[in-house]
Amino acid sequence: MIEPNMIPNLDPNPLPAPFWVFKVLLVVTFFLHIVAMNLMLGGAVMAIAAKWRAKDTSYGTQAFFDIARKLPSLLPATITLGVAPLLFVQVLYGQYFYTSSIIMAWPWFLILVLITLAYYGFYYVSFRSGQQPGKSGRVMWFSAILLFIVGFMFSNNFTLSQTPSRWSDKYFSDPSGWNLNLAEPTLIPRYLHFFVAAVAVGGILLVFMAMANWKRDRAYARLLLNLGGKTFMYATMAQMVVGLIFLVTLPRDMRMLFMGDNALATALLLVGVVGGIAAIFLMADALRKENLRVAGYLVPGILGVVILSMSIMRDILRDAYLKPWFRPEQFTVQTQWSVFPLFLVVFVAGVILWFVMLARFGLLGGKRAGARATSPDSTGAKQS
Amino acid sequence: MNYPVWDVAFGAGLLMAVVAILHVFVSHFAVGGGLFLVLTERRARRNNDEALLDWLKAHTKFFVLVTVVFGAVSGVGIWFTIALISPTATSNLIHAYVWGWAIEWVFFFVEITAALLYLYGWNRLEPRLHEWYGWIYFFAAFMSLVIINGIITFMLTSGSWVKNHEFWKGFFNPTYFPSLAFRFAIALALAGIYALITASVQKDPELKARIVRWSSRWIVPCLAVLPFLGWWYIHRIPAEVWASARGPMPTGTHYAMLAVILLSVTFVLALLALARPRRIHLAFSLLVALVALGTMGSFEFVREAIRKPYVIANYLYANSLYAAETPGDGGFNADAVSSAGILPTAKWIKTRELTPANEIAAGREIFRVECASCHTPNAYRGLKHYITLRAWDRNEIDAMLTGLEFMHNNVMPPFAGTDAERAALAAYLSSLHPIPASAPVVTDGATVFAQNCSMCHQINAKDKLFRNLPKDPGTASDAMKDLTSLFPLMPHLQLTDQQRMALAQWVNAQRTAKGIAVAEPGGNEP
Repeated sequence: MIEPNMIPNLDPNPLPAPFWVFKVLLVVTFFLHIVAMNLMLGGAVMAIAAKWRAKDTSYGTQAFFDIARKLPSLLPATITLGVAPLLFVQVLYGQYFYTSSIIMAWPWFLILVLITLAYYGFYYVSFRSGQQPGKSGRVMWFSAILLFIVGFMFSNNFTLSQTPSRWSDKYFSDPSGWNLNLAEPTLIPRYLHFFVAAVAVGGILLVFMAMANWKRDRAYARLLLNLGGKTFMYATMAQMVVGLIFLVTLPRDMRMLFMGDNALATALLLVGVVGGIAAIFLMADALRKENLRVAGYLVPGILGVVILSMSIMRDILRDAYLKPWFRPEQFTVQTQWSVFPLFLVVFVAGVILWFVMLARFGLLGGKRAGARATSPDSTGAKQS
Repeated sequence: MNYPVWDVAFGAGLLMAVVAILHVFVSHFAVGGGLFLVLTERRARRNNDEALLDWLKAHTKFFVLVTVVFGAVSGVGIWFTIALISPTATSNLIHAYVWGWAIEWVFFFVEITAALLYLYGWNRLEPRLHEWYGWIYFFAAFMSLVIINGIITFMLTSGSWVKNHEFWKGFFNPTYFPSLAFRFAIALALAGIYALITASVQKDPELKARIVRWSSRWIVPCLAVLPFLGWWYIHRIPAEVWASARGPMPTGTHYAMLAVILLSVTFVLALLALARPRRIHLAFSLLVALVALGTMGSFEFVREAIRKPYVIANYLYANSLYAAETPGDGGFNADAVSSAGILPTAKWIKTRELTPANEIAAGREIFRVECASCHTPNAYRGLKHYITLRAWDRNEIDAMLTGLEFMHNNVMPPFAGTDAERAALAAYLSSLHPIPASAPVVTDGATVFAQNCSMCHQINAKDKLFRNLPKDPGTASDAMKDLTSLFPLMPHLQLTDQQRMALAQWVNAQRTAKGIAVAEPGGNEP
């Protein structure tokens, strides 16, 4: 058992804005990060699946490269959107996060190497567009596996950060940082929860691509719609089972939070479950009727609400785990009024500029310049 | 002491240095290279230079692969690494500057998006619109330098922040503007240096020559202006801090020298490239980049070295102890730890009680929590090496630990702990290199000085040893019998009669050789 004084002290600086500001920023940016991650990692899985499912048709190869060309943008989106929650988690939970990171320092540090290699793998595949995908397929596997390992490290670190009772034994058994959190009963269900969600969202990525190709190449779009839609359905069904296992492995008092003890947590779980089931039925119906509006707007919309609920639930769960040690009141607050408003201004301006950049590129619909709008030119064609 | 210490056998500091230097070498390219891309594009379009434009497209791909992939991931990597090695400092920097980091994040997001759209836009956008993305990229990248520069310079020259804890007072600190100018000049030079790499693989010698000449217009003036910006930078650093790079501190001094040498070599290599622009070879361009990497790394090493003993100047020591008592520091300041003791205070250690039997083990624990953020026992900045070099036995180590904060121009934090803990640390350190009792006693003056005095004393007219030690060797030798009575902060070293006499004679010889006048007796502090 941990000695009560082993939790590191806060540093002397006050919080430069009220607690809830950081909490909102943490949850919202985590949500955005996880959506990008799901699209990226799910996309990589779907690229491999598409090649395998449709290997007898040229559509398999086409889908593989169409997805592959999006990955070098989706991975930096995941990273840049991940930097923000990484910042805000340090603001609020640094005492726990730094400690668990140090205990598993080497696996945590090696994430950087894995991401870099996976990233170059994605670029390699996207630059090989239009060639036979044999080697590209293997590289795609390689990148995807590395990123699965990265996700696993994240699950290890964040479960470890909220269970200080495990710290002491792990640290003193190996202070050189070669530890994981494998004995944690929720580790695998929690990891699978993220993994299966990524596959489901990868299916949605194919639905989006089906929409983009619907008018140009109906047969190809149908293949994408069916593969994507079905993947989404089956993955979401599997998610119900994984989620249930995750719930069961939680310590009883945490589990009960989602089953009546905490009204918000219970409501959010209900939103998640009902939303998931509704999404499955709506997608099944949309596939039968080839209703792109339902498959491409309504289902992803519901999914967004579900993922946001899950992000909030995750936060409630963290606070429940840390309840014996962590109190929001531990912080003194001294809002930095000379900087905080500046951040808000820069943030709003940045978001506007970001949308203007996408719009002027033709990425926000309307005058979209072509199917390969997000593809680098790998053939060296001359400027027209 | 507040956080667990990550044991990195080869040295946590070395890991930090490698990650940081590789990152800055790319991240500065990301800033300067942005301006390079957009200005080169304009130039190529004005001159209707299709070949240059084609090269620039390929160069953009190279740029994105280097900066957006490696640059961005290694930037996150610095965060990961400092949090693992200096969690207390990181926590302070996060809480004091979270809105700075958050603003930087917005620019980072815009920067990455603009870089990708600039790359993908080459063959699909109107030239003016394409350049617009380039300008946005450069603006966002430059702004991220504007922000991060405030926080990095704050760590070196914290200004009045330590007193008032005001965001902008720390941000626009004394070295903010010189550092911004210095780094921006590096960024522009690197834009040209990286361009040499992709230029060198071009087949058309005329095109190659055009790129090399154009790149040189970025490299040569920027490198030429660096010494002046460096001079400005140095003059905004407190003189006593900069003094570390002028002799007393080996690391700061050696890297300062190396930075100057490598900068000159980079400059000469750039001129050579300009002299034969048609014939530049890939290996040559990589050599230029490698030397530039060395220059940049040396500069960062100097900055980090002279910042010692602090990680945040005048606020937090490199070993995560607060320099002075600070409300909310949890007792992790040097004075509090000295009175309460390390073993009862540190959170993440096993040994709580010091006994004669566990002295070395406890000393090792003390080493881990107080020294390991910079030193290793026997690898990077290995203490065994220092101790062997000076042939210190346990008593000498103990004596030296009492005056740790005076060594090498005050670049070490004071030893914080009780006398018994200091003795335990000395016992552990001497176990790294035990001196047999039968070892011969050194008796030549130069070696006596090198082993016992050179950590704090410099051979010059300002140094109190050379200025104030009585000229008569006998009187001088007697005066050095009890060093602490001469000056209470001197280590309690016990030199033999022979050693003291040899030292006094050697000091006189140095005075004659360097023309150092001896101060009149009466005002004699050592």
